[in-house]
Amino acid sequence: MTPDTAHPDETAQEQVDLDNEQAAVDPALFEKQPVEPPFARTVHTTPLHLLISAESRTNRWTEWNGYTVPDVLTDLGDEYRALRGAAVLADHSPLVKTRISGRDATDYLQRLVTRDLSSLAVHAAIPVIFCEGAGLVLGDGILFRLGDEEYRLVTEETHLAWMTESALGFRVRIEDVSATLAMLSLQGPLSAACLRDAGVKDIESLAPFAACWADIGGMPVYVSRTGASGDLGYELWADVEDAPHLWRRLMSKGMSHGLRPAGFALRELARLEAALPRAGRDYLSAFAAVMSGDAATPFELWSAPAISLNKPVFNGGRALRRLADKPPRRRLVALVAEALEPVALSTVLSGTRPVGTATTAGFSPALGANIALALVETSALDGSLSLTGRRREGLSTQELVLPARIMEEPAWKMARGSAFPAALGL
Amino acid sequence: MERHDAIVIGAGLNGLVAAACLARAGLSVLVLDRASAPGGIACEHEVAPGYRLPRFTLGSGGLPPRIVADLDLPRHGLRFIRAEGGVTCFPGGEYHASYRDGVVQRREIARFSRVDADAFTRYRRDMLRAARVLAPLLAGPARPRRKGLFAGLRARLAKADRISAMAPADLHGLLRLATLPASEFLDSYFESPHVKAHLAAAAMMGATLGPCSPTSAARLVLPWLETAGDAMGGAPETLMPVGGPAALVSALRSVILAAGGQLRMEAEVTDIRIKDRKVQGVVLANGEEIGADAVFSGLDVKRSFLSLFQWKDLPEGLVERVGRVCMRGVAAKLNIALDAAPDFPGLPEGCPSLGGGLRLAAEIPAMQRAYDDWRARIPPRNPLIDVFIPSFLDPSLAPQGGHVLSALVQYVPDVLHEGPWSAERRKALGDLVMTRLAEVSPGMEKHVVAFEVLLPDDIENEIGLTGGDFSYGATTLDQLFFNRPFPGTGGAETPLRNFYLCSPSAHPGPLVMGGAGANAAAALLAAKRKEART
Repeated sequence: MTPDTAHPDETAQEQVDLDNEQAAVDPALFEKQPVEPPFARTVHTTPLHLLISAESRTNRWTEWNGYTVPDVLTDLGDEYRALRGAAVLADHSPLVKTRISGRDATDYLQRLVTRDLSSLAVHAAIPVIFCEGAGLVLGDGILFRLGDEEYRLVTEETHLAWMTESALGFRVRIEDVSATLAMLSLQGPLSAACLRDAGVKDIESLAPFAACWADIGGMPVYVSRTGASGDLGYELWADVEDAPHLWRRLMSKGMSHGLRPAGFALRELARLEAALPRAGRDYLSAFAAVMSGDAATPFELWSAPAISLNKPVFNGGRALRRLADKPPRRRLVALVAEALEPVALSTVLSGTRPVGTATTAGFSPALGANIALALVETSALDGSLSLTGRRREGLSTQELVLPARIMEEPAWKMARGSAFPAALGL
Repeated sequence: MERHDAIVIGAGLNGLVAAACLARAGLSVLVLDRASAPGGIACEHEVAPGYRLPRFTLGSGGLPPRIVADLDLPRHGLRFIRAEGGVTCFPGGEYHASYRDGVVQRREIARFSRVDADAFTRYRRDMLRAARVLAPLLAGPARPRRKGLFAGLRARLAKADRISAMAPADLHGLLRLATLPASEFLDSYFESPHVKAHLAAAAMMGATLGPCSPTSAARLVLPWLETAGDAMGGAPETLMPVGGPAALVSALRSVILAAGGQLRMEAEVTDIRIKDRKVQGVVLANGEEIGADAVFSGLDVKRSFLSLFQWKDLPEGLVERVGRVCMRGVAAKLNIALDAAPDFPGLPEGCPSLGGGLRLAAEIPAMQRAYDDWRARIPPRNPLIDVFIPSFLDPSLAPQGGHVLSALVQYVPDVLHEGPWSAERRKALGDLVMTRLAEVSPGMEKHVVAFEVLLPDDIENEIGLTGGDFSYGATTLDQLFFNRPFPGTGGAETPLRNFYLCSPSAHPGPLVMGGAGANAAAALLAAKRKEART
């Protein structure tokens, strides 16, 4: 919306002659907006950037989906303690949001994603996977049902071409609404309490993966109980122009609960502790993988992937039915390596044979150990594994081989994350 | 009589690469060229005092890294500039640029279509996969090695096994790429006509195919051959040697001299002495004879066989086979010197992609019509113009403030339907190109210091390239790989012993700069090693 249209000039409105067909129109409406050439701003920012950059004490930034976002705002340890002990607020606007609407929206999505959506109620969300014809994963995300014939798919990367191609024969409208929608992620055990104080009524009665419209300080906000932290958490979807006000209001109301802003590094760490793979990091979309080994099937990435094989027709269905019968060649597993200090982990070894790669690795404060998500050959999973790591001390680099074991449970998975009603205190 | 291990006829880029490889392997090498300076079609030309640019070629492109490393060229002063992929300007004033950065590239495509911006990821994946299939074919001779009956059989079975092991979708993708017209192939990825025309225009340069001709899709992969990178990367980049192709030539020359080789300019070879189908040496225009164990020809295949030998000495059928090789000029070259930087008001200010060149192209159907005109030998009405302004990247090529502009005009027939090019037709072509240039850069015509049009015929007369064909033989699939220059060759060896073809007429042709020269040198060295063993 241009400033001219947001605040129409009232004197000009009085001059409009209703009988005149050639009505006077604000010419600014039809002026071609100069398009900024893509190369001119390699720093692409979210609507919350100015606000968040004021919070940065470290000047550490990173790139996420083409946007410049804070990596760490104050201190990763402090942010982590807030996440696990109180609540953190982060800007997740770079996620790709696609709106799917139309008479055939449900049928279309049943075709697109692998799981059955017939139980998905309005104002509910569900994690989904979608595959191409050979059963390789294109992406995964969260699907929200906003109305009878309206959905929103939130993914890490854009899939517009595939989604448009799959829509042939369906009466649906597919739009990328990423730029019109900001997303604030409020995660942590006290996040419900923060929202209650910010003015959301009955927040504790919002079930996991449910969503509702709320009024926060006069702003319409879509609140969903979702998130990738393995704990209680909410995501708030708001208009880009409201987002900064929403951020400020949440920060001021949540102050007493210890709410802190957090950056991208904490999101990655929480995701790693919750053992959730991320597209572009732990696997490549089948359309982006130049080497075919970089793409993966859902059975390799998730131990119990959300696939309804008895659904009659869906993209990749035939290949997935074939793949479901045999054990996957490799598996994405969460490994823990016994070493106290943070070490950069890289290759998974079985004896001396490389059997996999650590795709995401980090130091988990919850376990006090180095953990990693790694794609490992299935045949090696029964034997003893080790991880190669590197530690720098001064100028010297130490190459380490650390004994590793597979974690059966994620490093952080709290019952309160799925408790109903949600806990308002610790 | 003077005698050398090897004589290279023609000091073009490939001849120099071959000579440098041989000299570094310890052979005594002599390079002969009738011109006064080395370079062949890459030779430097002063279009006006102080304005230097390659006379016949566009001036972009670099040697593959393996040749640069093998010949130790950086030690001899060779540096490359890596520029962005280039801009295409459309008649309506629209433009579409290529960027190396994946995010910027996708945002650029999203100006036309957001769906296409996402589809670019899949297009890039398929191009890189195809480039990986092609790379081993282009890295050496394309002839299957015959190692005896069983070994050959095993090799073939292994190849059949590899093909049958490919996923049907992958095999289908490769077949589509090898057989479809570029327009249809691009239709399966993109919806925006501008995005498609931008990709097609870059691929069609130098081709005797139009974007709607079958098999032209295979050319789309050419810009990706040297590209590697992460999954979400952008468009391929353009390479240019610092100082232009002349720097490439002088670095190669310096390698040859340092390794004890010799170059003799203004020495035209008129004849090759032959005895029992074995080459003995060469005869120069002044009557001097020089003996050699091996002779390398950097000339195109027609000139190599038809003008250097007595036809009666050649094995039976060779003259006919060489005669059937299709060599037709498709492009005219324009060299322009400007006394001020050209301004492009239609492009955003400071567009970095301009360094990689500028293409004046129409949408695909119009491009195909330009190609149809060429087939009917009609003078170009709406040509595809590839402009490269090397002085943007390297200001030393022009005097202070000035610029040099190279333009290749695509789909220019060597002979018109009405007969040879007349003076009026030639002037009309120059005017047409200048008008098109002035459309994207108004006022450019006022800054022209020098202007020169080289038609395919001029190129043939001046440098001796048959038909003025910069590809040294059409790069259609029937004249590539093991069919280049004629069926059953696929390498530098010829039906004559000790006579090697090191020009792009031989595999891998113009697809890899310097590749033919390196292949030819490798062939002789392998033969020498084999000889030493027995």
